[in-house]
Amino acid sequence: MGFLEVEDLKVYFPIKGGLFNRTLGNIKAVDGVSFSIEQGKTYGLVGESGSGKTTTGRAIIGLNDITSGKVLFEGKDLTSKKSKTASVRKDIQMIFQDPYSSLNPKKRVLDIVAEPIRNFEKLSKQEEKKRVQELLEMVGLSPESILKYPHEFSGGQRQRIGVARAIALKPKLIIADEPVSALDVSVQAQVLNFMQDIQKELNLTYLFISHDLGVVKHMCDEIGIMYKGRYVEQGTKQDIFENPQHIYTKRLVAAIPDIDPRHRAEQKQFREDVQREYEQSYNDYFDSEGLAYGLQSVSDTHLVALPEKG
Amino acid sequence: MWKFIVRRLVITFPQIILLSVLVFIMAQMMPGDALSGMIDPNIDPAAIEKQRENLGLNDPWHERYVDWVGGLLQGDLGESFRFKMEVTELVEQRLINSFWLGVATLFFTYLIAIPLGIISGRWNDTWGDQLITGYTYIGFATPLFIFALVMLWVFGFQLQWFPTGGSVEPGLTPGSFDYVWSKFQHLLLPALSLALIATVNTVQYLRSEIVDTKQKDFIITARAKGASESRVYNRHIFRNSLLPIAAFFGFEITGLIGGTVFVEQIFGYPGMGLLFMESILLRDYTVVIAVVLLFGIASILGALISDIILSLVDPRIRIK
Amino acid sequence: METTDVKMDETTQGVTKSPSGARIFWREIVRDKLALISLIFLVLITAFVYGISLILDQKEIVTVDLFAIHQPPSEEFWLGTDYGGRDIFGQLIIGTRNSLSIGILVTLMTGVIGVVYGLISGYFGGHVDNIMMRILDFFLILPFLMVVIVFVAIVPKYSVFTFSLIMTAFLWMGIARLIRSKVLQEKELDYAQASKTLGSSNIKIMFTQVLPNITSLIIVTMTLNLAANIGLESGLSFLGFGFPESTPSLGTLLSYATNPQTLEYRWWIWVPAAVLILLLMLAVRNVGEALKRAADARQRRG
Ligand SMILES: Nc1ncnc2c1ncn2[C@@H]1O[C@H](COP(=O)(O)OP(=O)(O)OP(=O)(O)O)[C@@H](O)[C@H]1O
Ligand SMILES: [Mg+2]
Repeated sequence: MGFLEVEDLKVYFPIKGGLFNRTLGNIKAVDGVSFSIEQGKTYGLVGESGSGKTTTGRAIIGLNDITSGKVLFEGKDLTSKKSKTASVRKDIQMIFQDPYSSLNPKKRVLDIVAEPIRNFEKLSKQEEKKRVQELLEMVGLSPESILKYPHEFSGGQRQRIGVARAIALKPKLIIADEPVSALDVSVQAQVLNFMQDIQKELNLTYLFISHDLGVVKHMCDEIGIMYKGRYVEQGTKQDIFENPQHIYTKRLVAAIPDIDPRHRAEQKQFREDVQREYEQSYNDYFDSEGLAYGLQSVSDTHLVALPEKG
Repeated sequence: MWKFIVRRLVITFPQIILLSVLVFIMAQMMPGDALSGMIDPNIDPAAIEKQRENLGLNDPWHERYVDWVGGLLQGDLGESFRFKMEVTELVEQRLINSFWLGVATLFFTYLIAIPLGIISGRWNDTWGDQLITGYTYIGFATPLFIFALVMLWVFGFQLQWFPTGGSVEPGLTPGSFDYVWSKFQHLLLPALSLALIATVNTVQYLRSEIVDTKQKDFIITARAKGASESRVYNRHIFRNSLLPIAAFFGFEITGLIGGTVFVEQIFGYPGMGLLFMESILLRDYTVVIAVVLLFGIASILGALISDIILSLVDPRIRIK
Repeated sequence: METTDVKMDETTQGVTKSPSGARIFWREIVRDKLALISLIFLVLITAFVYGISLILDQKEIVTVDLFAIHQPPSEEFWLGTDYGGRDIFGQLIIGTRNSLSIGILVTLMTGVIGVVYGLISGYFGGHVDNIMMRILDFFLILPFLMVVIVFVAIVPKYSVFTFSLIMTAFLWMGIARLIRSKVLQEKELDYAQASKTLGSSNIKIMFTQVLPNITSLIIVTMTLNLAANIGLESGLSFLGFGFPESTPSLGTLLSYATNPQTLEYRWWIWVPAAVLILLLMLAVRNVGEALKRAADARQRRG
């Protein structure tokens, strides 16, 4: 039994219209995704915009209805109606992509960070204040911040408030949906490092959603690559970065900028080669609708979406 | 397109049914029933009770509702307690008067709105525009009944340009030129009072629509291609801005209904609004009910017409 | 855990202070001279009519005095008297107070109903929203004036309170619709979604998370509604279906003008009331429009 297991998850959004607002079709935002995460690890979910990363994360935490499939958290099925409000939910928290819209602009930091505490624990005003101050200190903000409003903070600081709120209930799993993509590059590393620090400190598990393979390389132990709602490849960090098998992954990996200027020409050449290969063999890797095939194992840890041969 | 119309019609039926239920409830709440007005008070109560039984007035409410709707569908609006005549007969002349008042009002509304809206939109922020905006600003805040009173005072009593009551000079032969002319004169002041207030919305809408369209890409392209300024306005901007105005036609009807009550009361114009006020003061409830029902249906149909025209003109609203 | 560097960036990074809603409102009103004058006018007149009516002997004002019928303005009766010899000036003050009170009462009641209705409809969306909007459409389409008049005529135990209930019953739709479409957008924002993941109940999210973010819309709408409600009440009183006889409103004074004699020769009875209604409505609207501009950052003047 794994820590978090997602089995054949599908999330479809109905397209409404016509007479009496009937359902005319579906957007298959997530179309059969399976993966599992071990406790204490960081799992990276990568893909281009619109590939269904956010929807996957939201479905796990219960913000999107699941069309079919299962989400098992410590063996408990989160898709069954019962558990929706149960305390399992407090073990899973989320960090949102946009630190500007994810904090209620009309609330003080105290109320924002205390919101989950008030929902699940009965603390006196004094204890509550102390807890919030501790949490703020943990994420590197001064305890005096509790009376300020979100607009008095910078983006990076807001994201820290978001993290403080997410860890307030001592959750086990945190879904981080592009937690740094809205931040200045200079602040990104800071926030990422600090996320790694608290991971160790609190033994957190991350589902880390990103479109930036560079960031994922820095953060993650295992990685899944999504394309149009399906997985194209999944494996350990080594599998994905040193031995990419799917042409789509290869192209993503090739696109990571190399900081060393001496390799620039080399890299440009390499990128062009990969791009050419991508165009030539596109039809071998995707079906007639441009969707990925089912996953096949290449090794114990490494799965790739390849057409069934023969 | 057809789908939208069908959908819109499907919404209309429950609305009419709901309206009839509401009106029926009102009718039930009203003191007395058809008999309290009809029967000689000297007849003994037991006989009345028997009569009630026969007429079905003691049936459970849903049966009475079905009877009532059945009657309506056959054009039976009941009988006026006061005038001892069929409501349909009583309503007929009033309806015609109100109809002409409505037509004249709508005519003036657009007659005023279109030039004012165009002037103030085309030459926005000039003194002409500011004058018109000033008028819409005041008009928006002025209650119709105060405006109508002032109109009557100034043009009816002080200047004596218009007759101050009724719908026609008594003693003229119907059909003669004088008769029609007199009717027209009686109509003018109430219709103008209504229109001058009702038009304010349309002027404002037209103005902002034109100001918006002016900055749209296709207009800038047309200008860049060297089209003359008046051509740009006549061919592109007006056409784009006037169509939605046409669509408000139905909503204007809905708005007019409240207005006629005031205006007919103030000018003593014998239309449906005045009939309503008279009957409610006389406690002639069958008539009241009939008028509310007719006006309710008129509103529902007005909104229906507007939605359909709007959907023809503006595909955006069809989607939702 | 090294916190020092972070505390530093807290002070150095671009921290923008945006003023609170109340301050933005106030700034916009001060900047818009017309709105400022309107507000001062409203404050003064409210203080005046509520203050004076405490001292005024209401009984005396509404008692018929047959020796002083239809007197023109004079030392004793500043604005003359009506057909019952009652002082117009006194009636004007009591009328203004009554009109303001009921306007505010109806605005508050429609506000509460409209906000709750709009919140529920917008927040839950889907079928709930669909059904609630159909019901709202129906109310919107009713011939308001007639329906209200009929209810006023048939309601047993008619009083100021039942009158405002009847008005409220058919006036909550506008604000409900505005709130609903705002909530429809608001609930999709991350902060509302975040609340769900933090275990807050729907009711809690609606009223403690979403509601504070739509207060400026509510204030603006209610202010504009107040202007409209003062007009509607005076209209109904004008027709004789507003306040009960014993409590004069501005509309009551205007209703005397339905008598052609009064309209033509005794302006002092109805013109002051007409002017007052107009000024009240304009002033409330001016304030409302300024608030509206303040609430919409793109239109702010300052
Ligand atoms: N509530 C919704 N209703 C309809 N379609 C939706 C909804 N939410 C997402 N989608 C669609 O589902 C698909 C996947 O969206 P999702 O937000 O999961 O992508 P993403 O991988 O997170 O992209 P990004 O990197 O831009 O955040 C998109 O095509 C999107 O338009
Ligand atoms: Mg996303």
